[in-house]
Amino acid sequence: MASITIDNLAKSYGTYSVLQGVNLEIKDGEFIVLVGPSGCGKSTLLRMIAGLEEVTSGEIRIDASRVNERHPKDRDIAMVFQSYALYPHMSVARNMSYSMRLRKASKEKIEAAIAGAASKLGLEPYLERRPKALSGGQRQRVAMGRAIVRQPKAFLFDEPLSNLDARLREQMRAEIKKMHGDLKATSIYVTHDQIEAMTLADRIVAMHGGLVQQVGSPLELYDRPANLFVAGFIGSPGMNFFEGTRHSDGVRLADGTLLKVQLPPGADDEQGITVGIRPEHVELSAEGVGATVDLVEPTGFGIILHLSLNGVDLKVFTSDRAFLTPGQQVSVSFPTHHLHFFDAGGNRILR
Amino acid sequence: MTSRQHLLPARLTATTAMMPPTGTILPMTTAFTSSHGRRTRKPFLAQLADHAEPYLYSAPALILIITVMLVPLVLGMSYAFRDIQLLNPFSGGFVGLDHFRTLSQDKAFSGALKNTLWWTGASVVLQFTFGLILALLLDKPFRGRGMVQALVFLPWAVPSFLAGLNWAWLFNPVIGPLPHWLFALGLIDQPGNLLSDPHHAMWGPIIANVWWGIPFFAITLLAALQSIPRDLYEAASIDGANWMQRFLSITLPFLAPTIAITVLLRTVWVSNFADLIVVMTGGGPADRTQIVASYIFTQAFKALDFGYASAIALVLLVLLIAYSMLIILPRQTLLNKG
Repeated sequence: MASITIDNLAKSYGTYSVLQGVNLEIKDGEFIVLVGPSGCGKSTLLRMIAGLEEVTSGEIRIDASRVNERHPKDRDIAMVFQSYALYPHMSVARNMSYSMRLRKASKEKIEAAIAGAASKLGLEPYLERRPKALSGGQRQRVAMGRAIVRQPKAFLFDEPLSNLDARLREQMRAEIKKMHGDLKATSIYVTHDQIEAMTLADRIVAMHGGLVQQVGSPLELYDRPANLFVAGFIGSPGMNFFEGTRHSDGVRLADGTLLKVQLPPGADDEQGITVGIRPEHVELSAEGVGATVDLVEPTGFGIILHLSLNGVDLKVFTSDRAFLTPGQQVSVSFPTHHLHFFDAGGNRILR
Repeated sequence: MTSRQHLLPARLTATTAMMPPTGTILPMTTAFTSSHGRRTRKPFLAQLADHAEPYLYSAPALILIITVMLVPLVLGMSYAFRDIQLLNPFSGGFVGLDHFRTLSQDKAFSGALKNTLWWTGASVVLQFTFGLILALLLDKPFRGRGMVQALVFLPWAVPSFLAGLNWAWLFNPVIGPLPHWLFALGLIDQPGNLLSDPHHAMWGPIIANVWWGIPFFAITLLAALQSIPRDLYEAASIDGANWMQRFLSITLPFLAPTIAITVLLRTVWVSNFADLIVVMTGGGPADRTQIVASYIFTQAFKALDFGYASAIALVLLVLLIAYSMLIILPRQTLLNKG
């Protein structure tokens, strides 16, 4: 087990910059999830930690020692790939023991390690099978077993559940969480799925455009997104945003409505401001602003309503099963303690 | 309900979900017997049509295959048992196994058989080795790779006769540079012609053949290499494998089926491939470079004895089929197992 420090790490291909100055402090035993849309640099960051990509500038330290120039095999890390990357010509047992065999570990040690990993992952009946004869979930388990057997300093996961169907993904997600609880191993997990990020992480690192946008616990990112990107990326359905301008006693929205809220002083009047509210925080109530129903999406657990409010689109999530059809009128209200405010630069305004 | 389930257990369990539990079972069984009864009462012609139907559908393909492939093959094979000499108008009779008896005493044939082994073995091994090295080099990205790939595959596009003439001239001390270079390097005593040296003449066509055949292995092996998922190598390097270990545990197992099939193809091909030898040495000096394929060519088109040439060809065919089985059978069992 180890702590990992990322110090002002940058990566560029020629003139194209993928990562621009990433700083991150990962504590021993922590489960970190790197999340962001595709192309945000999260996989590149992971592959640089693994040693599969060269570092352009900055430093990676594992247990306080610089590993930039170290070959992947000398970093003592294990990686689980999206495609599983199992060796197709080896049985499950040989797949899992490959690294130990390369290190010329003793036969008893190898067998003990395989037996331990197999029982942890429920792979005992499949040890002699080839990966081809396994299902997707079983293959992913073998890939995890291959990582566990190593007893590495850190586990790296590169979108390990993306190739599985929704049901299996849910199950494997819980298994990974349980495994981390058992092993207490430092883990870095890359995903574009914010549900995976929320459920698994001790801390989430939200990335966009090669920059870290926010680092924090899942609920921190959900409750207090640092900027517009994080606010829009975390949460499903996504947050509603309204453009407006700052006013002495609140925010005047684009349609002329005045939202009376207390904002910290300092910024000038008439400055651009974005107001955000999560669909699940919008209330359908008797008194409020009138809106027209555009679309009704039942999810079973609740209903996603697409509303039109004075020509502005608005999404509302409600667990109320009130029978609504497109064209109907409803009235909505916005509890002010659930509102998020972002300044013209997209950064959160603290209240 | 339970007693009925005993009658048609499999069918019932498979379909209960879709039909009401009772009632439907009886009508279904009666439908079965009635359709059977109707079939036995069909008139003879209708029955014949029924049986002939699949053959009629496949007839166009079968006729094509038989006329284009089987008829010439069988005709050619039949020559092996007949006395066919172009210069003898009275030839053409059936001679049974006479050709094969002559063949078993034929010193030139047994020499050609040995030369064929030598020619095929050396050509294929060298072509494969250099082709694999080339494919591994071309698999790595570098500036101008597309250009180099195109150039490397150029020899394959050269007609074999042109390649043969070209190399024959290169080895010729009067017009070619190679003997003088070898002499300057001190590898030979005098700048003579390799192709007229009875001990080393075979190397001439072999070198030409290697030059000409490398691209085939390079192309096919490169295609196979590029189909290997990159993350396997990444996983292996994280697991601690060095270049050689990655090559042995990932590259080689992935290439094995391609290697088996290309080596098989090339072996059959090269052992049948007389062009270079006919052009460069004509089988000489003193039959030192005569392989079975060029011996067939000599018998058929120089001695004009088509019957004897066919007999030799038949023996070569049998040998090559036996060799193919030697490779295909283990490969097939391997593939089925994997």
